[in-house]
Amino acid sequence: MSDALLQAFAEVLGRPDIWAIVLASACYGIFVGAVPGLTATMAVALFVPIAYWMDPVGALAAIVTMVACAIFSGDLPTVYLRIPGTPASAAYADDAYRLTRQGKAQRLLCLALTSSIAGGIIGAVLLMVLGSQLARVARLFSVTEYFWLYLLGLSCAVLVASGGSRVKAVLSLVLGLLLSTVGLSAVHIEPRFTFGIPALYQGISFIPAMIGLFGLAEVFSNLCVMSAAAESVTGDSEVAATGERWSLLEDARQRLTRHKGGVGRSSLLGVLIGMLPGAGADIAAWVALAASRRARADQDDDEQMMQSVADATTANSAALAGGWIPTLVFGIPGDSVTAIVIGVLLMKNVTPGPVIFAEQPALVYSIYLIFILANVVMFPIGLLAIRLGARIVRIPRQILLPLIVLFCITGSYALNSSMFDVTTMLVMGVLGFLLSRSEMPAGPVVLGLVLGGPLEERLIQSLSASEGSLAGLISRPLSLALALLTAAVFCGIVLAEVRDRRSGRQTT
Amino acid sequence: MEVDAVVQECCVARQCGPGQPRFAVCASCAMIRHVVIVRAQVVACDSSVQNRKSLHGANEQMGNLCRLAICVLFMGMVSGCDRSSDWPVRPVTLVCPWSAGGGTDRVSRQIAVQLEAELGVPVNVINATGGGGVTGHTRGAIAAADGYTLQMATVELNMLHWRGLCPITPRSYRPLAKLNEDSAAIFVRADAPWQTIQELETALREATSSVPVSGSAAGSIWHLALAGWLMERELSPDATNWISINGSAPALQELLAGGIEVVCCSIPEAAALLHGGEVRCLGVMSQERCPAAPEVPTFVEQGVEWSVGGWRGLMYPPGVPEDRVERMSAAIRRVAESAEFTQFMDDAGFNISLVYGQEFAEFLAEADAGFGAILTQPAMQQQQQAPLSAWFVPVLLIGIGVVMLGVSGVSRRSVAEVSTEGSGAESLRIPLLFCGSIVVFILACQTVGYVLSSMALLGVQFWLLRVGVLKLVLFVVLAVPALYQVFSAVLGVPLPWGMLGW
Repeated sequence: MSDALLQAFAEVLGRPDIWAIVLASACYGIFVGAVPGLTATMAVALFVPIAYWMDPVGALAAIVTMVACAIFSGDLPTVYLRIPGTPASAAYADDAYRLTRQGKAQRLLCLALTSSIAGGIIGAVLLMVLGSQLARVARLFSVTEYFWLYLLGLSCAVLVASGGSRVKAVLSLVLGLLLSTVGLSAVHIEPRFTFGIPALYQGISFIPAMIGLFGLAEVFSNLCVMSAAAESVTGDSEVAATGERWSLLEDARQRLTRHKGGVGRSSLLGVLIGMLPGAGADIAAWVALAASRRARADQDDDEQMMQSVADATTANSAALAGGWIPTLVFGIPGDSVTAIVIGVLLMKNVTPGPVIFAEQPALVYSIYLIFILANVVMFPIGLLAIRLGARIVRIPRQILLPLIVLFCITGSYALNSSMFDVTTMLVMGVLGFLLSRSEMPAGPVVLGLVLGGPLEERLIQSLSASEGSLAGLISRPLSLALALLTAAVFCGIVLAEVRDRRSGRQTT
Repeated sequence: MEVDAVVQECCVARQCGPGQPRFAVCASCAMIRHVVIVRAQVVACDSSVQNRKSLHGANEQMGNLCRLAICVLFMGMVSGCDRSSDWPVRPVTLVCPWSAGGGTDRVSRQIAVQLEAELGVPVNVINATGGGGVTGHTRGAIAAADGYTLQMATVELNMLHWRGLCPITPRSYRPLAKLNEDSAAIFVRADAPWQTIQELETALREATSSVPVSGSAAGSIWHLALAGWLMERELSPDATNWISINGSAPALQELLAGGIEVVCCSIPEAAALLHGGEVRCLGVMSQERCPAAPEVPTFVEQGVEWSVGGWRGLMYPPGVPEDRVERMSAAIRRVAESAEFTQFMDDAGFNISLVYGQEFAEFLAEADAGFGAILTQPAMQQQQQAPLSAWFVPVLLIGIGVVMLGVSGVSRRSVAEVSTEGSGAESLRIPLLFCGSIVVFILACQTVGYVLSSMALLGVQFWLLRVGVLKLVLFVVLAVPALYQVFSAVLGVPLPWGMLGW
């Protein structure tokens, strides 16, 4: 046991080439994550041909680092420009950008960076200590449990909505779910809302949709304001000299130590959600955001927003480690990244699954160490990226906006090399603009788009397993428990809404 | 100057020494190119040259008119000479119909890396996913027949058209090479009571209710393999209940969770769980044992004459010039037979099965007939019935939406007040013009090319926002090529080429 650990230390920390790989892939990850349209999965997929020439530890080091960095750097365009760099940042795009408008961009990003690192490290520790136990839990989830879990995930969009905007959040969510039914239904293999356009068969891909709903819509809103008032600087007005930066970091550190409970809760949520195949960093961010809102309902608005964004970034980083749990223990991918990792490992003649712990314990320890190392390396590089990002936002608006448009177009094209995705992006941009004018949140639309397909699929799978009887949805103990939890959350939302309306009526 | 001489010189120039520029590009047979001839002097001709004929005409006046090398700007973006002997000069696109990280994707990326070394141009994999393979398989068949789009096709090509999902059949392609074939196999949980395929068969016969099984979506190759086995043994189709789960990995997860009892998929897909002792393989549906799991007996050994599997192969759209087909086929053959590729396939557990050209076409025709026979069976059609209609969820959602609109209508008044507040001075003119410019971009980009259309888009938008001319030109000229380089060269995303070749 300790031999393997020592060997792992020597393999990871003692090799200069591993350090070089980690540094290079951190920069690469930051870059890919910051480009809207390129996801963490894409970063890894592009890397696969290179991984072929590396040894297993090197390849794993590169993958773990680039994904951790990509998930953090997805926050950069989210905060600076309101374009989520990766789907994992979509949950808090609106909140984050509101803080940016108050000139708190750098403060928020420093907090996001430290929270991501905290989440990543706690996630890695949970992976080490509880990995195989948690994997037993993940194993229990059948399609029925996923159905209830996805319903719970959807309710988060409403939970994060404050006060009177609940109905609007539900409307946005329904819109997103409806958009997700466009295309060839996975279970029926029947086209819906395609109007005979072949390109619509694959449905509305949510990454271009996300870029449009947030990025392009924001450009349109800015353009409206610009034509009214010639110049309006909404970007980052916070002065950030070197001395200031340290105070921002100090502020982030204090916040983290003050809210230990929040960090712990979000990390645990992140790992638990991340370890379930079919739920990843994006859903983890939503759930943590909702949990954070509930826990901090009494605090003042901005402070609460800052903390809940921090909690969400903690959770999406912790979810990455969670994704490795079923991968290592059963060889079942926890998310799309670990699916590629399994491929890479098989290519290296390493079979993930129960045997890996017995036969190659050193490799398993190396993975744990790499997780820690990746999160440590992310700190300086992340700070650098925050600083570079701040420069970009200082470019005058009339130059910046067309550049953002071009970036949105190229990013949405890049995903599938399809002009149709650019069209999707444009249509969603207009939709997002209309939504923001009627003060409906765009986040739930994205959540609906992401979860709509799997939710319907799981429902129909559960029903066909029980041969059409609704009792099949609650026949297993775990599914019954999740169903009761879902029902409680739904009732809670309705009760809160009724109470708010009543108190609103009394005051007016 | 004679056209052929132009081409000739151009090609010579491309292999020029270190002292000379390396950006010679000549007119291709079909496409319009800017022409640069590099020798002692640089002769550049206008990019509006339409074809060989007008090139000839233009060449005569060109001598005096445009001797200046406007092409310096183009340097570094393009290089190449589009003559058949010198084909290919542009990046090749390899369309993979399944998502990144899956088995087909891994094979595609391996092929791409090795083809890149063989052909000397980048080979980019794009994942055109969705619609159970419809999107990806349609993409390659309708691609331009210039040989720059290669399709990784999978067994679904044999099946989609039988299920009426798309008109694409193997005849919509020019088959180049079959790379591998993985047989279906039957998996159960390690603690399941059945040890052999006969025991499972008896259990299915005697079961009072249908046994839940899966492996992939309904109508997929694994569904078909299982249904075919049941049909072969004359079991009732109701003995099993196929749950449509997207992909073999989630199906295996469902097997472990106890939601289903049997999974039908290929051995490499279940390798990790099989070697880990979490699942047991009862038999593989092939003539010979699978090299990745030699301990697993075949169906034939257990007295069941049934074998079926999925294949992966490379194809061209129909109509690609014969010399390019030959060139590409030769390159593929060298890649497929290389020790490196064999090693990769062995490590990944994929079963290599190489068949080329005409033979591959015959294999496809045969497989097509076989699959058609099973897929048109009434039992197969019946099994695709889902418990809820396809329109149940959309209608439910519209219902919820309407109710919610009604609820929000109660408190609408306050909203209306808020939204009209600051909007008086706003103007929608510029956003609408922006939208318009993006629409024009989308329509024009494929024909005009990424660089030119982006420059135009950016220029127009800067102009709309009243950016000074100097800044406008500076940003357009710097930003677009830089972005192009980042996406195209660094990230390997093939951006539209268009008229000018870039």
